[in-house]
Parts: sequence; C-alpha cells; structure tokens
Amino acid sequence: MPCERKPMRYGHSEGHTDVTFDDTGKFIVTCGSDGDVRIWESLDDDDPRSINVGEKAYSLALKKGKLVTAGSNNTVQIHTFPEGDPDGILTRFTTHATHVAFNHSGSRVAAGSSDFMVKVVEVADSSQQKTLRGHDAPVLSVTFDPKDEFLASASCDGSVVIWKIDEQTKVTSWPVLQKSNDVSTAKSLCRLGWQPKTAKLLAVPVGSKVHLYERDSWEHVSTLSDDMITQPINVVAWSPCGQLLAAGSVGGFLTVWNAESKLCVERQKHEKGYSVCGMAWHPSGRQIAYTDTQGSLGLLDDLPTASSATKTPKAPAVKAANDYDDLFDEDDDRAMDEGLSDTHSPAKRPVAGGDDDDDDDDDHLMPATGRVKNRGSFLDDENSLDTVSLALGQGKYGDDDDDADAGGTVAPPTGPSLPLRPVYEGPLPTPPQKPFQPGSTPAHLTHRFMTWNSVGVVRGYNDDQDNAVDVEFHDTAVHHAMHLTNALGHTLADLSQEAVLLACPATDELASKLQCLHFSSWDANKEWIVDLPAGEDVRALVLGQGWAAVATSARTLRLFTVGGVQKEIFSLPGHVVSMAAHGEQLLVVYHRGTGFDGDQALGVQLLQLGRRKRQVIHGEPLPLSCKAHLAWLGFTAEGTPCYVDSEGVVRMLNRSLGNTWTPVCNTRETCKGKSDHFWVVAVHENPQQLRCIPCKGSRYPPTLPRPAVAILPFKLPLCQTTTEKGQMEEQYWRSTLLQNHYSFLSSSGYEVDDEGQNQNQKEQQELLMKMFALSCKLEREFRCMELAELMTQSVVTLAVRYASRSRRMNLAQRLNELAMEKANQLQEEQEEEQEEVEVQEEEQRTPRSRYGQRESAGGHSSSRPHQAREEEPREEGEDESLEADGESRKRLNPFARGAAASPEKPSPKPMSKEGRVNPFKVQGSGKSPSQSRVSNVLDSMTSVRRPVPLGGPSGKQSKGPVLKPLAPKPKTKMQSTLLQMATSKAANKKAQVNPEPAADRLKQPEVPPPDSPVEDSENKKPRTGFQLWLEENRKSILADSPDLQETDVIKAAMGSFRSLSAEDRLSWTERAKGQSAEAGDPKKRKRVAEAGEGDGEESRAKADENIAKKKKSLDTTAKLSAFAFNKN
Amino acid sequence: MDPAEVEFLAEKEIVKIIPNFSLDKIYLIGGDLGPFNPGLPVQVPVWLALNLKQRQKCRILPPQWMDVDKLEEVREMERKEDSFTPPPSPYYMELTKLLLNHASDNIPKADEIRTLVKDIWDTRIAKLRLSADSFISQQEAHAKLDNLTLMEINTTRSFLLGSLNCMFKLRSNMQPGTSTGKGPDY
Repeated sequence: MPCERKPMRYGHSEGHTDVTFDDTGKFIVTCGSDGDVRIWESLDDDDPRSINVGEKAYSLALKKGKLVTAGSNNTVQIHTFPEGDPDGILTRFTTHATHVAFNHSGSRVAAGSSDFMVKVVEVADSSQQKTLRGHDAPVLSVTFDPKDEFLASASCDGSVVIWKIDEQTKVTSWPVLQKSNDVSTAKSLCRLGWQPKTAKLLAVPVGSKVHLYERDSWEHVSTLSDDMITQPINVVAWSPCGQLLAAGSVGGFLTVWNAESKLCVERQKHEKGYSVCGMAWHPSGRQIAYTDTQGSLGLLDDLPTASSATKTPKAPAVKAANDYDDLFDEDDDRAMDEGLSDTHSPAKRPVAGGDDDDDDDDDHLMPATGRVKNRGSFLDDENSLDTVSLALGQGKYGDDDDDADAGGTVAPPTGPSLPLRPVYEGPLPTPPQKPFQPGSTPAHLTHRFMTWNSVGVVRGYNDDQDNAVDVEFHDTAVHHAMHLTNALGHTLADLSQEAVLLACPATDELASKLQCLHFSSWDANKEWIVDLPAGEDVRALVLGQGWAAVATSARTLRLFTVGGVQKEIFSLPGHVVSMAAHGEQLLVVYHRGTGFDGDQALGVQLLQLGRRKRQVIHGEPLPLSCKAHLAWLGFTAEGTPCYVDSEGVVRMLNRSLGNTWTPVCNTRETCKGKSDHFWVVAVHENPQQLRCIPCKGSRYPPTLPRPAVAILPFKLPLCQTTTEKGQMEEQYWRSTLLQNHYSFLSSSGYEVDDEGQNQNQKEQQELLMKMFALSCKLEREFRCMELAELMTQSVVTLAVRYASRSRRMNLAQRLNELAMEKANQLQEEQEEEQEEVEVQEEEQRTPRSRYGQRESAGGHSSSRPHQAREEEPREEGEDESLEADGESRKRLNPFARGAAASPEKPSPKPMSKEGRVNPFKVQGSGKSPSQSRVSNVLDSMTSVRRPVPLGGPSGKQSKGPVLKPLAPKPKTKMQSTLLQMATSKAANKKAQVNPEPAADRLKQPEVPPPDSPVEDSENKKPRTGFQLWLEENRKSILADSPDLQETDVIKAAMGSFRSLSAEDRLSWTERAKGQSAEAGDPKKRKRVAEAGEGDGEESRAKADENIAKKKKSLDTTAKLSAFAFNKN
Repeated sequence: MDPAEVEFLAEKEIVKIIPNFSLDKIYLIGGDLGPFNPGLPVQVPVWLALNLKQRQKCRILPPQWMDVDKLEEVREMERKEDSFTPPPSPYYMELTKLLLNHASDNIPKADEIRTLVKDIWDTRIAKLRLSADSFISQQEAHAKLDNLTLMEINTTRSFLLGSLNCMFKLRSNMQPGTSTGKGPDY
C-alpha cells in the first residue's frame, strides 16, 4: 500500500502527549508532559515553535486560532494560535483536566477532568458554563456531537455516557469499559470519536475493538476489529470525510478502517512499538499525525482517500520501492507474527476484512503471506484466492455494492489488470557517501571545523554577522593565527606547514575556485587563486609537501605545486570520497562502485609523487567494517596510510604484508556511552598514539568550547588478550606492525631514528623471549620452536641456553639447529644486501633506490625492479660525468666499511694499489680525474649489470667466471656446515686444540676450487694446508703458464695439490695449524708477492672492482662462518 | 603563614595545558615535565602553566571541578550542610584566583565561576566564624573542624590565636572574681 510511514522523531520528553492539526493543515501541534506545546511546520521541522503552558500538558484542542490546553495546574487555558500568546483561562477544576475538545464550530469547549466532572464552556464567554455531573471516576475523554446537541464522555468508572448538553442530563450510558481508579492506571485512554458531517456514528474504543453506536437509537450497530490489534485501543479518530476511522493502540498498532465496509484499509505498526496516545487527521485526509507515550511524533503520509480506499484498494504488486525498506526494517516483527503486522502482504487483507473467514481458508493463505520470496508465484496465489474471498465477501456482504465488495477482497477485477511494475527483491544499493575532508565537521553547521590536522585547525564561521575562516596552528612557531574573511564561501580547507588551501563550490555566476595562502613563500606574493573549468567542482583537496592535489566532480585529479604551477592531471576511477597526503605520498579514496545493504564500495590509490612518480596501491578495495562508511583518512606522522571508519575501527597499511590493512584500534571500545564517539585527528606510530577528541553523544565536536585532544592506545584485535599469552602476542605484533615505518622511511631516503628502531627490536625480542619462557613453562615445545623461528639469531642462542637450563634437551637441540640455519640465512642476506648496496650506491642520487628494498619489503611485483635496473645504465652514463668524483668515493665506501670489520684485507689475488687504498687517497695520489672517471664508469657499469641476468655478455671477461662460482657457494657452504654440525655432534668430537680448524678441515674437501680464496681472504682464520701450499707454489704455477686467469691458476693449483702424496698434504695441514696463530706473517708475504705480480699488469686495474666485490662477499662469509663457530 | 605563601603552595597543583610549541621532556627537581607537543594536552604545575600562558605559549584547560554545574552543586551542598563539605579542591580559592586572573579567556563562563567560588568561600568562612564564635562562647577546650582548606585556616588563624591569647590574659587577671560562665568582651 502506498501509505508511507515517516520515521518517528523526538517531540517531547517521555510521557503522555497529544497531537492535532490546525484548521488549514499547515501545522502539526503537539503537547507533552514537558508542558510545552510545539508547533511544527512539518515533520522535518527542526525548529518547532514552543509555547509553555505549564508543568505538564495533558490534552490540547485547536480551532479557529484558539489553542486550548489542559494543563497540570487544574486549569484549561487558551492561547492564541499561531502566536501562542496566553488568552486567559477558560475554566478551572479541582484537579487537572484530562481531555479537552472543541465542538464542530469552535464555539464551545468541553473538558473532562479527574474530579469526575465534564464542563462545557463557551469560548467567547467563559462564564457560560455547563457542568455535567454523573461520572463516578475521572473522566477519560470527551467528544462533541458534530450537530452540537449531544456530548459523549468516557470515564474510568467504565461507562461511556451520552449527555444532552442543553439539559445537562444523561441520555444513555454503556458500561463497556474496564474500570480503573485513575487516568494514569486506565488500560486505555478511550478517546472517543464522533463521526463528522453525518454525525451518525460514535466510535468507542472497547478493548482491542472499536464499537460503533448509532446516533439517536444509541444502539451498538457494529464492531471494527483487526486481528493485528491485540492490545487495547487508545485513540480513535475519524477522517475529515467521515468515512475512514483510524485507531491507535497500546503497543503501537495503527489501523484505518472503512467505516462503511468495516474493512481495514491500512495497517501500520509503530516503529518501536510504543503506545499511541494521540492521533489526528490532516484536514485533507491524506495524513495522520500521531504521538506516542515516549514523546515522539510520527506521521503516516499518502493515506488513501476515502474514495480511493473503497474503489481501488491497491493491488499487491503495486508497491513503492521504499515500502521495501519498511519490509526489511520490520523483518523482526514479521518473524514474531509472520505477516500479521505486515501491511503490505496483500493476501492478508481479505482475511482481516472478513474477520470471520473460516480457519481453513486462513491456513491456506498463511503460507502465501509469510515471507514471500517469489512475487510471480505469489500472484498466482492471489488469483486463486481472489475467487475464494470474493465468494466469501459476497456471501457476507451481499447487500454491499460492487465497489465496497472490491474493497474488501483485493479488487479481483482490477488486480490482475493493473500494470505490474517489475520488482527487485535483491540487496538494496547503499547511497554513496559524500566526499569529505578528513578532520572536518559537516558543512551545514554555522560554526564548524573545516579541518583539524596535526598542523593546526581551520575553523569556518558562517552566521549572520560573519562569514570567516580562522586558521590556527598548534605550533605557533609555524605561523601565527590568521583570520580571513570568507567572501568566496569556501567550504573545503586543508592546512600544511607551508600553506593553507581553500576551495569553494561553483555558484551560478562563479566557477569553483581554489585559493592557496602560501604563507611560507619567501617572496611578497603569498596567495594565488585558480578557477576550475566550468562545470567542475572541487570535491576534495589536500596539501602535500610542496604540492597540492584537488579532486573534482569531473573525476579528475589535478596536481599543483604549492606555488601555483599546474602539474599533472589524471582521472580517477570513481567519485572521490577523500584524500590525504604526507610528504610525497598521496592517498585517494573513491567510490569503486555501488555498495549494497549499507556497505560502501570504496577503492584506494596510493601514489608516490616524488621525483619518480609511481602508484603503490592500484585502486584496490578499501576494507571497511560492516555497514560502515569512511570517517577519517590520513597518514600517521611517520607516513603510513591509515583510516577510520564510522564504526570507529582504525586501520593501518601493513607494508610488510603486501600492502594489506590491519585494524589497530577500535575507538568504540573505549567509549563510555553508546552514542559517544571519538573524532580522530592524528595517528602516531612512535610513540603509539591515537590522537582524538572525545565527543559525548555525537560523532564530531563543537567548535566551542574548544575541544581537548585525548590519546588512545593501539590495540590489535587479537584473540584472548586477557591472557598473558594473548597480551604478549598482541604487544609483539603491534610492535612489529608499527615498526614497518622504519624500513619505509629509510627506503624513501628519510633519516631514521636508529635508536628507536633498535629499542623497538629489542623490545620485540624480549617479548618473544618471554613468550618462549611461557610456552616452555607450559611444556609446549613445538610452540617454543615456532616462537624461536621469529627470533633473531642471537636471541635464539639465549633460548637455547634457557632450554638447556630447564633440561629440555630435545628442544635445545632443535633450537641449536635453528640457530645454525638462522646464521646461514643471515649470511646469505648480508651477501645479498651487499650486492644491493652496490647497486644502490649507484642509484643513490635518485629515489630509485627504493625498488630494491621494496622488493624485499613489499614483494609487490618482481618485474618492476628489474626494469628499473635495466634502465639504470643509460641514465648512469649521463650522470656519470657530473658525479664521477662523488661516485668513486661512494663506490668505495662499502669497501671501507668492510675494511673496518676486518682491519686487514688480504686477498689471494693480486691487486693494484688503487683497489686497496683508502678511498680518500684516490685523489690525493695524484691520479688524473679523467682516469678515475674512466674506471668509475666501468665500475658502475659492471656493478649495475651484475644482478641482471641479461646484462652478462657485454660485461667484463673476467667477471663471468668469477661470479658464477660465487653464486652457488653460500648454499653448499651452508649445507656443509649444517652437515658438519650434525655429524660432529653425533660422532664424538676428536680432541682438538682449537675447534675452528675442524670446520675448516671438514669444509676443505667439499669446497669448490674457487672457494679456497674465500678462506684465504680471512686473516683471522687459520689457513688450510692447501692455501699455504698455494701461496708457496703460486709463482711456480704462474711461471709454468703465465697467461692463466686467476681462477685457472687456482684450479691448476688445486689439481697439483691433489696430486701430492697424502703425507705431504697432511704436513701442509699441520703447518697450517701451527701457523694459524700468527696469521699476519704469511699474509704480508703474500701481499708482497701480489704487489710484485700486480705491478706490471695494466689490465688489472680493470678487474679491481671485481676483486673488491668478491672481497666484500668474502668478508661476510668470513664473518658469518666465524659466527657459526662461536655458536658451537 | 600569609596568603602569598599559601598561594605559592597551590602553584604546585597540576593542571592540563595545551602547548603551542614543541619541546622535549624537561627534567626538574620536582619531576620530569613534558614532552610538549603542540596541540596535545600535557600536565604541568600551575606555576609553569601560568608562566607559559603569560608568554602565550599555551592554553590552559580548566580543572574538572572548575565547571559551573559542579560548583553550583557544591554551593548548594555547602549551604545545606552545617558542617564543612569537602571542598572541590584543596586549593580551590587560590587556583580560581590564579587561573581566572591569568587565563580567564581559556575558561568558559569565567565570571560565573568567580561568583560561585566566592559564594562557596563566603559560606565556608561564615561557618568558620560561627564555629569560632560558639567555640569561644562555650569555652571549649578543643574543637574539630574537617574539610578546611589551608587558605581558610590561615585567614582565621592569626586573629583567632591573637584574640584567644588576649582573652586568656584578661581572664587570668580577673580569675578570682568572675565565674567562667560569662562570655568575654574584647
């Protein structure tokens, strides 16, 4: 049915209320227990006029500009309407009046009171009163006969009495009501209704039915009932035409009958099921206003007129789309009484209409009315049912004309012929949320925050006196506060350390404008304004570091510099919702599509707008809580994207988990009240702070009094955070998550607080250790292992110690193995890192360096880094001439670092001075810059190419062979060490002077030939027999075949060493052991030898960087193998 | 002890301020303060708050009790009860004076608060006078007064002690003659 039930709204404080329309129907007038009469222009009137009429108002009547109220001060007062000026007291009682009513002409007022009396007073002359005595209890209600002859009253004594007004006598009395001793304890208010115009019928609510009495004969002619109404009816009201009767009951049922056909034409249920205590028809008969005992006001709109109700009772399929809203809303009700409360279930109507339908029929109908899934099948049902009820209807109301019959039985002739609108039953689309500035309050407020961020606050005032914008900085060192007149009507604002950006929507004459106050500019012009093209409105704007971005209604995103230069422009995939910026990052959230069932479908893009622009998040869906919308969008102070949804869940980007979003806090959990909210203004990762403004009973704060910022902690929603284990897990993962920004910052070239990071890591490891201890205590060794896998290598050793001390040998052993594994991993990583460092050193001048890191951190796509690297050589070449000197120094830096780790850098290979010397000496040694440049160009070329598999052929000749054996080396070595660990543990260790040589020896047979230099290079390590032998014999090998490459030399040496007799080899090994103590000597010797060799070879210079590289990797392996041994 | 000294003690009370500058923790004998982040509330002693306020470096957030509704409640209580009710703060008078004199722009409804606090103060001092009067007239040896603030004690102490001394002198002079029942006249 097309009757629309408007949502209830607050009218008065809790308690009894009454409602009426004024004569014109322009105003709804209500009164309530707060003693106010409110005059509403419509249901949506947010600012109704209030007239105070006393402490409480029980009833009101309105006619001809006179407002009569029954108040708690025992009087019946008159006020003028609509002015609301007091116009005297009409009459007084000894207790308060309970109900007042006008007669049809408005000349008299009847008032019933708790002192058992009914008075009829002339409005014009209040001295002319008629008192009707005869009730034995408080009077519940009074109503005039429209012909002014009689008056009906209902009382708590259970009677309804008809009085002859002029004679002040009882005409008749019906003891039909339930007795009670006071109005407040009465089951029903029993508001009577006398049919207007014809004045033929008097409607009396009796329990859950309405009795109709006929005038003059005073006989009970019929009863109106509805099986939906189970509780007493409070109010009845006739439509102005006199054909429809509306009733409101305790429990909130609203029913409209056609008085003639006695059929129910409309059914509604109060949205909260509160008792209806006041009801009034609009003079047009199209609306019913009603109030409930909770002080709310509601409205039924678009009621069928009397004629339409009788002639064309709506066919079931003709339904307004929003009726479905009601359907869904009332799902709960329906579950309770399947279809009973459902106004829209058409098949129900005949049942209600012919209230005595046989049960069989009822049962037959019920399945069809309950949850209708399929309209098509339903229509079939309807047809079959029509015939049944038609017959019934005719049987029952045989004398009724066709129209009335049709009204009672779902219009059999018209129903099928009506055009059926295709009906959609699926999930309903959600209206897309409007664009907003993060940290702003709604634009309709006269005083509002246009933005509140970590820099400051922009407030907008838009009232009668002033249209202005106030800019205030949290830190006055940034800039002093500003007060700007807002002549353009700006509605959007953003604030950064450099500028204020304002924008206004387009008006009829003016285009949408963007205004920037660039207060940090060093020239005299601190302001610029840009007009957007016609038809384009600014929807969201944001200020980054040195740039501004504006998203418009044309779904374009425009970039400007902060000085006003237009830059890139690109299209967004949907309408923008919000934007945020931090440094060079831009975060855009837009509508990805239509959401359903209350959900929003948002997409997010994260762009990097530095010198090298790229997109980090490519329009992926933004996860939101169920039925929530986006409430705040921003970055943490450290630059991690972050947002809050309307459910109060704060989510943060987890860069180490493939750019997923992790919920870090639920602000609603800390709210005290249900309607309290936290309005987030900033998020900090270090220290972990969520800065927000607590708002009592609202979603956003008022501008005055100035709200104060509160701090909330983060809390990951892990399971069982009440237990110790859960707490520690939460702490650990929170700490790891919030530490992500360190790697991001360092990768994007910012300075990183190393101390903080280390502290963070230390804390994490401590937590792990605690968890480890806890699991240990609980004898969960497997879990211990799992925890240990998260630990760093050094902490694992601690764990080993802990395990062995608590006598868990099995665990200790496993941990030990894990420690070894970790050590090897570490070694590998370091190696990779070193390689990367080389690459990065080259790139350092450009932000490209991030690629490498990104790959490991984000794991986003592996193809890009490769492309990037391939591009490098070209660009490098261009830069080279400029940067040669710097480059050379940089190139050598890692080298120097390596040197610091191992003070002397012996190399098995001959090397020129250039490679070995202090990088700072390069220039000092008097080499011509051009020379160094040349070598550097080559250096960078090769080092850059190295990681690229394709770049091989054009590289150095020497490079290939050297590199290849290096690559697989760590693996084999790791295996060997592991193997060795296992074996050496299993088999009893031989008594050894020094544990270290054991490893060396074991390694020795397995080491591939090129590996030997690795061992050689470590001056700390004792050398193996072969190395010693090689040193001794290198010269002779070289002399034999002078044009051998370095590796070939070693190979050859290996061959000849093998060919030695076993004793010889053993003796070399012995010597090696002996010499391990004083490693310095042989090395020096070796160096001399190298120098000698290297001297003559010009070409060696070119090989330098290869050596350097090798040495670096060698260094790490050296370090690591040392580590491995220490573990033992 | 004169009022200035009491006020000095009151300056150690903690209030919240919103600084508009940024500063690391400062380490003082009385404890560490800060760190100060612009826009973020931080707790500092009143003396520092006032100092910063005078240099326009912060905004002071009024203490919780410095609120019209709460003070009205206290005033009603104070008027209803014969004995002293717990004061809103042990230094309510001093703090009100200090904060309202220096930072009235940060305190909503400053005038009303000033009046209310003055009312409370007057009520309490009246009670104090009354009890001192009955103390003397009934010639009691001791009396117990709860919930008095330092400032209130100090306002009566000098006078009360002086007059008691004086009465003692007078009484010891005419000890043999008069009975103890008579009230002193000074």
